[in-house]
Amino acid sequence: MNMKRFTARLSLRARLYLFSGAILTLFAINVSTHLWGSLARTESLVAYRDTVNAAQLTSDLQQSLEAARQQVLVLSTLRETTDEPLDANEQTAALTDLENIEARLRRLGTIGTEGTEDYYRRLQESTTRLISGWKAFYRQYNDTDAAIDVDSAVNFNDAIQRLGELDQRQEFLAIQRSNAIDRTIALTDRITVIGFITTIAVTLVLVVVLIRATNASLQRLKTGAQRFGSGDLTYRIRENLEAGEIRDLAHTFNDMSGKLQIAIDEVQSAKADADSANAAKSMFLANVSHELRTPLNAIIGYSEMLQDEIGDPGDVDRDQFRHDLGTIIFSGRQLLSLINDILDLSKIETGKMQVSLEWFQPSALIFQVCDALSPLVNQYNNRLELDIDNDAMGEMHSDPGKLQQIITNLFSNSCKFTEDGVITVAATMDNKWLTVVVSDTGIGMTADQQSRVFQAFVQAESNTGVKYGGTGLGLAIVREFCSMLGGHIELESKPGVGSRFSVQLPVDPESALANA
Amino acid sequence: MTGNSLKVLLVEDNALNRDMLSRRLGRAGFTVITAEDGAAALDEMRANAPDAVLLDMNLPIKDGWTVASEAKQDPALATIPIIALTAHAMEADRQKALSAGCDDYATKPIDFPALVAKLEALL
Repeated sequence: MNMKRFTARLSLRARLYLFSGAILTLFAINVSTHLWGSLARTESLVAYRDTVNAAQLTSDLQQSLEAARQQVLVLSTLRETTDEPLDANEQTAALTDLENIEARLRRLGTIGTEGTEDYYRRLQESTTRLISGWKAFYRQYNDTDAAIDVDSAVNFNDAIQRLGELDQRQEFLAIQRSNAIDRTIALTDRITVIGFITTIAVTLVLVVVLIRATNASLQRLKTGAQRFGSGDLTYRIRENLEAGEIRDLAHTFNDMSGKLQIAIDEVQSAKADADSANAAKSMFLANVSHELRTPLNAIIGYSEMLQDEIGDPGDVDRDQFRHDLGTIIFSGRQLLSLINDILDLSKIETGKMQVSLEWFQPSALIFQVCDALSPLVNQYNNRLELDIDNDAMGEMHSDPGKLQQIITNLFSNSCKFTEDGVITVAATMDNKWLTVVVSDTGIGMTADQQSRVFQAFVQAESNTGVKYGGTGLGLAIVREFCSMLGGHIELESKPGVGSRFSVQLPVDPESALANA
Repeated sequence: MTGNSLKVLLVEDNALNRDMLSRRLGRAGFTVITAEDGAAALDEMRANAPDAVLLDMNLPIKDGWTVASEAKQDPALATIPIIALTAHAMEADRQKALSAGCDDYATKPIDFPALVAKLEALL
């Protein structure tokens, strides 16, 4: 478990490197164990061969020493019994033989010396004494005065005994070394086999751990990808369980999911916006259709009726005709103003309504509008009060056409909803703002009605248009124009008391925007 | 025109349209009584038992849909045929009027000969 947790914390590359390293190290240990075993075997074999060679040399030397002694004993007997001298050739040959023995003794000292040093030293002391005695015998052989004691049985026996001891020692060592070889072979074979088995086992374990740890990581990634694929974009792959590249990959997956969620949210909100815009459009069309049909009903109905009546026998009622034609004209004009308002509103909504700024006298413009609309004031027996200080008001930089429409709409609105009352138009201007207030003593509005009255096609009551005329677009257009000119409109109203519309427009919208 | 002298209740709050339609119906031989709002319409139906009702939908006090559904729930009025008159020209508006209890539906501007045909078909 700890191993798994540990490997899970390593990056994929680190895992692969680590596991390859571990497997290679195991193989290296295995191969060096094998090599060491081979080396030990070779060393043991070399030592065994030296011991065998040395033993052979020892038995050779024993034979040579016995032959040399035999020769010395025979020649010693001959010298005592006859006076025949030993010729030079025979003497040299005998000495050469002895030196040959000495050379072989020295060679014995160079091979398989380990464990036999003491035996060899004693053998050498003994043989040196023996052979130097024999050499002296051969050199003095022809000197008849010299008394030569060659009966060196003590020396000889001593040398033979030393040789025997060395031989025994070498035989013992040979047996010991051959046993050691057997043991070494058995040991190195065992180590090699154990090493290979261990390597295979550890490799298998490492491979399994690597595969399982990596597989678990990949499984988590796969689960995450499947959850994302099935649309669960709030799911998150647990990045802290992973390391290195897989952690990066998990992070990238999570990141991708988050971005997808954002993109989907954006698309959905864009779709909702489009849907609601579409619904608003359909609503607008339905409203336009409804508003156009109402005056058309009067126009068509009266026209058809007049057409019928003109075919009636007898005199035409001219007054009735005039009244009906007036109704047709009134409805036609209402239709025209409705179409104009719809076009204005459509231009505003599609952003095609242009503002054309110029310098003009707002007080003059307000007087003009009030003058032009005076028939409306009289229609319901109202009185107009103007509160405009013509001299104190200078020029302003704005769109006079739009200001004219704002005042016209507010003014005609007040006239429509007021009977036997007072319409007041007041205007003031400082160096920043023009304020125009249109107030009346008309029917007024409740708070709920006030909140809806600036929406297109909405009047205070659904039947207001039928009762008072109007399209329900006038105030919506006024509000849009105010904001296009950099200003705003406020409404105060009380049912049965009256309404007060207050418009504030910047004297110069460009400097007002710059100050904002 | 047909001199059937049937009694028709015209419910319409717009004075111009009420004047125009009542005169045309009168010329066509109908006896016309009028009402300006929904509550008055129900009163007229009870008081004068018209042979048919021409009902505008956007009415003050009680709107046309309410008038139609209340009339159909009242056993005394349920048999009086109602034709909805409205400037709402969408199919959904027609369905809304019919499901409120109206027997037929006519869109403004009114096709007068077709309206007379509808009335005669219902009566």
